[in-house]
Amino acid sequence: MTDFMLFLPELFFIFGALLFFIFSLRKTADPAGYHRWAIFLAGIGLLVTVVSSRQEGMLFFNCYRVDLFSQIFKILLALGTVWVIFSSSELKGIDPRQHCEYYFLLFVCTLAMMMLVSSVELLTIYVSIELSSYSLYLLVPMRRHADHYIETGIKYFMIGVTSSALMLFGISLLFGMAHTTYVPQIIKTLPSLITQPAAIIGLVLALSGFFFKLALFPFHIWAPDVYQGSANQVTAYIATASKMAAAAMIIRFTGLSAGASPGMIKLLIVLSIFSMTFGNLVALIQKDVKRLLAYSSIAHAGYIMVGILSMSERGYASAIYYAAAYLIMNYSVFMVIMKLADDGHNLQIKELAGLHKRSPLLAMTLMIGLFGLAGIPPTAGFTGKFLVFAAALQKGYLFLVIIGMINATISLYYYLIIIKAAYLLKPVNEYPALQVDSWTRYLSIALVIMMIYLGIFPDQFLSLTEAAARTLF
Amino acid sequence: MTSMEMANFPILSAILMTTILGLVTILFIPPERTRLIKQVSLASASIGLVLCIWLYLSYDHQKGGLQFVERILWVKSLGIYWFNGVDGINLPMLLLTSIVLFTGIWTMWELENRVKEFFALIFLLVAGVYGMFMSMDLFWMFVWYDVSLFPMYPLIAIWGGTRKEYGAMKLTLYLLAGSALILPAILYLWVQGGAHTFDLFELQRIGFSAFDQKLTFIMLYLGFGILAAVWPFHTWSPVGHVAAPTAVSMIHAGVLMKLGAYGILRIAMTLCPVGLGYWSDLMALLACIGIVYGALVGLAQTDLKYVIGYSSVSHMGVVGLGLATMSVNGINGAVFQMFAHGVMTALFFSSVGYIYDRTHTKIIPELGGLSKTMPIASSFFIVAALAGIGVPLMASFWAELLVFIAAVKAFPIGGVAALVGLIISALFMLRVVQKTFYGDKNPRWEHIPDVPGFLAVPRIVLVSVILFFGMFPKIMLDVIQSTVIPFVNRF
Repeated sequence: MTDFMLFLPELFFIFGALLFFIFSLRKTADPAGYHRWAIFLAGIGLLVTVVSSRQEGMLFFNCYRVDLFSQIFKILLALGTVWVIFSSSELKGIDPRQHCEYYFLLFVCTLAMMMLVSSVELLTIYVSIELSSYSLYLLVPMRRHADHYIETGIKYFMIGVTSSALMLFGISLLFGMAHTTYVPQIIKTLPSLITQPAAIIGLVLALSGFFFKLALFPFHIWAPDVYQGSANQVTAYIATASKMAAAAMIIRFTGLSAGASPGMIKLLIVLSIFSMTFGNLVALIQKDVKRLLAYSSIAHAGYIMVGILSMSERGYASAIYYAAAYLIMNYSVFMVIMKLADDGHNLQIKELAGLHKRSPLLAMTLMIGLFGLAGIPPTAGFTGKFLVFAAALQKGYLFLVIIGMINATISLYYYLIIIKAAYLLKPVNEYPALQVDSWTRYLSIALVIMMIYLGIFPDQFLSLTEAAARTLF
Repeated sequence: MTSMEMANFPILSAILMTTILGLVTILFIPPERTRLIKQVSLASASIGLVLCIWLYLSYDHQKGGLQFVERILWVKSLGIYWFNGVDGINLPMLLLTSIVLFTGIWTMWELENRVKEFFALIFLLVAGVYGMFMSMDLFWMFVWYDVSLFPMYPLIAIWGGTRKEYGAMKLTLYLLAGSALILPAILYLWVQGGAHTFDLFELQRIGFSAFDQKLTFIMLYLGFGILAAVWPFHTWSPVGHVAAPTAVSMIHAGVLMKLGAYGILRIAMTLCPVGLGYWSDLMALLACIGIVYGALVGLAQTDLKYVIGYSSVSHMGVVGLGLATMSVNGINGAVFQMFAHGVMTALFFSSVGYIYDRTHTKIIPELGGLSKTMPIASSFFIVAALAGIGVPLMASFWAELLVFIAAVKAFPIGGVAALVGLIISALFMLRVVQKTFYGDKNPRWEHIPDVPGFLAVPRIVLVSVILFFGMFPKIMLDVIQSTVIPFVNRF
């Protein structure tokens, strides 16, 4: 019976996915009804996940570990899913006949990522990541006027499949070196083997699958095109929920080397620096909001890596905190974008002009979200960066932290450009007034309060992330 | 060992809350009720001012040390504390902030464009300033420092004047680049101190190696120095001041730039005295260049606000020079100068603001003979100019006197060069006054009304403060000295 309790969130999402599969078999589509079902199920799913947050145990022949670390990430995933579904109320970017499949794939993807964060056996990890990847391969091109966006879907698919292949190769090398596919046992045997090239290459290749999902340099090539080419809601989902899973798995995996390989740490430092710098510099010239956010996500992948490569309890805790803060801030920005471009088109920066008059609340949510991403106090984004840099400096990476701060300053420029558009610019033609329904209003206020509260009073959540980081070892 | 006296009532947090509550209250007022917004703002600022004056008078300078202390553990795993206190160095700064906020809000009474957002942002800005001055925990000092920086962008970009978008972006990015140096330095000190406390005084007790001190000092000096307009990192300042609306210039030049010098004094010099000793020659050199450079470039300006902007660079150089001397007189003078210059610059911008609102120009050749058409408005600027020169009876006289005595003793050549800079600044101030206010009456401005009584109040307040501390410097110096003497004794 307790086994069911351990697996409860996943079971619920399997049930949700099945329900939408059955709905999809119907002849006539009922988008509004589907949305109501989706938001209801996603909300219950979030509750179920929160209730299961203190569960601990092993399942499926020790392939599957339920601990505080995995449960925190499941809550973040469920939260991201609820929010994205909340913003899918109109969903004009996707053909109404495909709404059912859209929700089905969202549920499957969330399920897969939940399985991913709990998997502690190499093949289970591979299966979970493939399940989530295939859901996303289908979601990305699922946009109205599909002919324009087929290229995006193919690009994502090709790069994703290549990363999966590389990852599988790495996994096979790891298995070859450690003679086991169980991650906890690999943690014990790998550090002594880490000086062997096969071990390092295996680990790095295995990580590349997750680097792809996180959009870390040089596995970031898909991000700008996919962000721009997908429907707004799908982009929001990729930008928020799937990043959580990627961050979680990188944290689990880098723990494998237990810091015994300075070469690997150097490699991670280099990737982190390139990610931050490349992402920030190219974002400077973007005019499409989603594309800009894609490059910004490449930069943020670099910042999270700074915490992860510290490979200390504090480093991992700070990375978890950063991931949570990133979820909230990123979603806030996307929520405003989805509201403004409610016919599903790609929002340009200049279309934000006059937002402060059309809806001061949305403008403020956007502003706090962007300032959080830039790392300005008193937001959670600042505290996240602070924690990540503190962990890195504790290991002596002063140079890395200075580069990180310089990058934060560079990134401030393009975030300010967006805020400038929303607060300063006068639109050429007046845009129609915005109807902001009360649920969106409440959610905006809740998001702003969350971002500022987590920033000013980080203690509680930080203790939680530290407890989670401790369960990793 | 610094003595600490806990507060019976968290007055420092209360002062901070006046700004935050003011901000929150304004957010709930509908934007059309501009008069109510302004009244609420002025009320919050007044409460803050009264509390600061009371605090100033209650500070026991015989006992010295840190008083009215509040200390609560905030984040256990990192060792962050909500730690506030006043001593002789930050108490004048808190008083300065409350005076400038109060007069600044009053000066902007005639604003009609997007009033709600303006006053909300001003309160956010000043909350950051108050927070940094009263905080004694490195994490919170950095947080408040950054909080006070980012509202500058919208404040200048929306309500500003000349080249506002360029000025706003340059100022914000440049100042945040400074914080890119400060945060690593703070974290480095935290790590070297055992990675378990951000408490300033605990870190001071722990102490750091000579190498750590030298490395961190230069990072902190450059990072904070950008905000303190240390030459050659001052270029954001004149552009930013010119672009900013009046109250923002008052707060920025009057108070915000002092945050930079305060940061150098409170963090860099307190935690890294060996570093200070190592880098003090460089500090003095940059300060002297700043004094002379600011004066010379100010001489060539034709825009009134640019004149004041460059004179600010010059005066902040005096502060830097005083700090670099590492002597009681020098640091006393530097802190006094921070206060005196703050009030004086606020008066400068306030008076120029009135003239600009009426004539819509700040270009000197276009103005002229204003003392004949607007005697009261002119008098405010002239008093500020005299204070800028350092004429006796003005607070800045004592400040500059102390700094120069110490400077000539510690850095003979530099001190004399700085004195030359002082003379040049006198020259350009008087020239500006002559060209703008004396000389032939410009017929364009004949019909401009002079300052009405209501709007004259903030300027009169500022003039009174300058004259008061000019006549009774002991009231300020007693407070400053009570902390500076034990501070210097540690070197």
